[in-house]
Amino acid sequence: MIASLFHRRVRGFRIIDLIALFCLSVLVLGVYFAKAAAGREGAEISAVNQSIKDEQARVRLLQAELAHLENPARLERLSAAYLGLRPMTAQRETPPEGLVELSRNEGPRR
Amino acid sequence: MRPAELNALRANAATAKAWLVEGVWKVEHAFERSKAQGRVVDDTRLRICFVMALFGMAFVTLGIEAGRAALLGKAGGPEEAAAPPPGARADLVDREGRLLAVDLVHYGLYLDPRASWNIKETRAKLMAALPNLSRERLEKALRSDRREYLIGALTPSERERVHDLGLPELSFEEEERRVYPVGESASHLIGFADSGGHGLAGAESALDPEVREAAAAGKPVALAIDLRVQAALEDELRGIMRLHTPISATGIVTNARTGEVLALASLPDFNPNTAGQSPPANLVNHAAASVYEMGSTFKIFTFALGLDSGVANVNSTFDASEPLKIGDRTIHDYHGVNRVMSLEDVFIHSSNIGTAKLGLRAGGERLKRYFDAFGLLAPARVELSESARPILPRTWNEDVVASASFGAAISVSPLAVAGGVGAVMNGGNYVPLTILRQDGAPKGRRVISPEASRAMLDLMRANVLRGTGTKADAPGLRVGGKTGSAEKVIGGRYERSKLVSSFAAVFPTDGPVDATRYVVLITVDEPKGVKETFGFATGGWTAAPAAGRVIDRIAPFLGVRRTPTAPFAAQRQAAAPAEEVSEGTL
Repeated sequence: MIASLFHRRVRGFRIIDLIALFCLSVLVLGVYFAKAAAGREGAEISAVNQSIKDEQARVRLLQAELAHLENPARLERLSAAYLGLRPMTAQRETPPEGLVELSRNEGPRR
Repeated sequence: MRPAELNALRANAATAKAWLVEGVWKVEHAFERSKAQGRVVDDTRLRICFVMALFGMAFVTLGIEAGRAALLGKAGGPEEAAAPPPGARADLVDREGRLLAVDLVHYGLYLDPRASWNIKETRAKLMAALPNLSRERLEKALRSDRREYLIGALTPSERERVHDLGLPELSFEEEERRVYPVGESASHLIGFADSGGHGLAGAESALDPEVREAAAAGKPVALAIDLRVQAALEDELRGIMRLHTPISATGIVTNARTGEVLALASLPDFNPNTAGQSPPANLVNHAAASVYEMGSTFKIFTFALGLDSGVANVNSTFDASEPLKIGDRTIHDYHGVNRVMSLEDVFIHSSNIGTAKLGLRAGGERLKRYFDAFGLLAPARVELSESARPILPRTWNEDVVASASFGAAISVSPLAVAGGVGAVMNGGNYVPLTILRQDGAPKGRRVISPEASRAMLDLMRANVLRGTGTKADAPGLRVGGKTGSAEKVIGGRYERSKLVSSFAAVFPTDGPVDATRYVVLITVDEPKGVKETFGFATGGWTAAPAAGRVIDRIAPFLGVRRTPTAPFAAQRQAAAPAEEVSEGTL
């Protein structure tokens, strides 16, 4: 069987040579496509990474802006200056269990 | 493709095929001829097969590896992202995760005048786009024969503005800059770092190694402060600065059980984004770096040691009917009642005579030992490198003991006082203060008994209900506290008109002795008496009302609920506190 691989010929070419040529071609093409795909993937990953980095920088910038805008001291200043708001007094607070009593005292709204 | 070209191409392909087939046949014939000549040929074939097998294996290995790299490889993945740049610092966040300090990408602007077509146009456009650009530096760069640095820390929008000028001689380079998005808020606690990424003040300096390590790990560093509490504290301190125009005002809010500093403010303050442009005086964190004779606030410690050591109990009495003479010195009660007083009366009337007698009963050694245990004889135990050493008496004779018992003759930082008050109020454990968020309560070391701590909580509450601290009461929050008003030493003598006024508060004072409680300490350096306070500038008129308002505002953030049986606003306004001033001579 194995000996026939070395002696049988197809159109003048021995089978073993054809098999070897085929394997070699498959391997060369396989390596080529794998490397080409890897190169493409690598480039794509680099681009995505750069995009992520840029987005992260933007997110951090926005987070910093948000921290500035939501700074309680700033909000207090603005709410006092433009809306006349002040810290709530104790007389305007009630625990959750006091809500029913408050609504009873207030009576139904018309 | 035209038919003629196609035919030519076919002819060439046929020729190449024939040449290839002919070549293979030639090799085959060579093998056959060799075979006819003997066994050597078999060996040759075997060798050829062996070499082909080796090549085949090499190609298979390469193929497998290439396939694996293409399909499963991690090269360039996010997990292999570049390490943080040198000098990178982690974000600082408050206990709720709000951003306090962050490294942001900025841009440095460079100019290469060799690439400029029109120097005048470049100058005009740049000055219009960047008004802050140094004219001198621009002129130097324009005259140079190489690429020059023009300005750094450009924000993305500024970069965009310059980029849109379309000048080819300008280029940008990324650079990390530390940004403090909350500006002046908690500036003394957060501190600031230089452009090289080295912490220079506050947490930035104190936690420098931790911040760098966290940056490498990509994690933020969580501080103990709560920005909401900080905002309320700063707002009330600014109110004091406006009304009483003192040299400085400091405020500290701590969790007595864990030692966490929930807020720390020192006015005047600064913007850490432009720290270099602030007056040097504004950069001083008076809560940590300044020491004061705290006055009657110190009585908290004297009473705590008296109760803990058994020198006194709640039924003890002190004769304050006459001034106390120690050698050449006479100690008075500024608003004394001139009678025999109970322990509680001594505390709530802030009697210097009664407190001095308690201190003398305890003795110098004991006083020193307890003060040391409360952390008053050393820099405040906290991460901040600004924490100042106290100024201590050289000897602890009777005069010094009497003075120290009511807060004279010994100067300590407000932070040290806050730490000591926390130990008295948390059940008796001294827990070092920390600016880092804690996940559990540290063990601490016992300095007074839980019973003595409970008694002190009751005394503090009584002082707010009936004593010098009535203006600090916050409806339903069970506030306790002690006022302090110490004359400042100027030129070696106590100056009656210049006070350090303070108020040390604790809330809530009820519940189990080891329950979570909060300490609020307000210290005002040289407040001026005003019409609204009838000319008074003492702790009861300056620091105490502010402490009460701070507590009123921060209690909801801290989860402290009001009780419905509170003495409400009308009652708060009714009573004016008695005045007490601690004095002495050096």
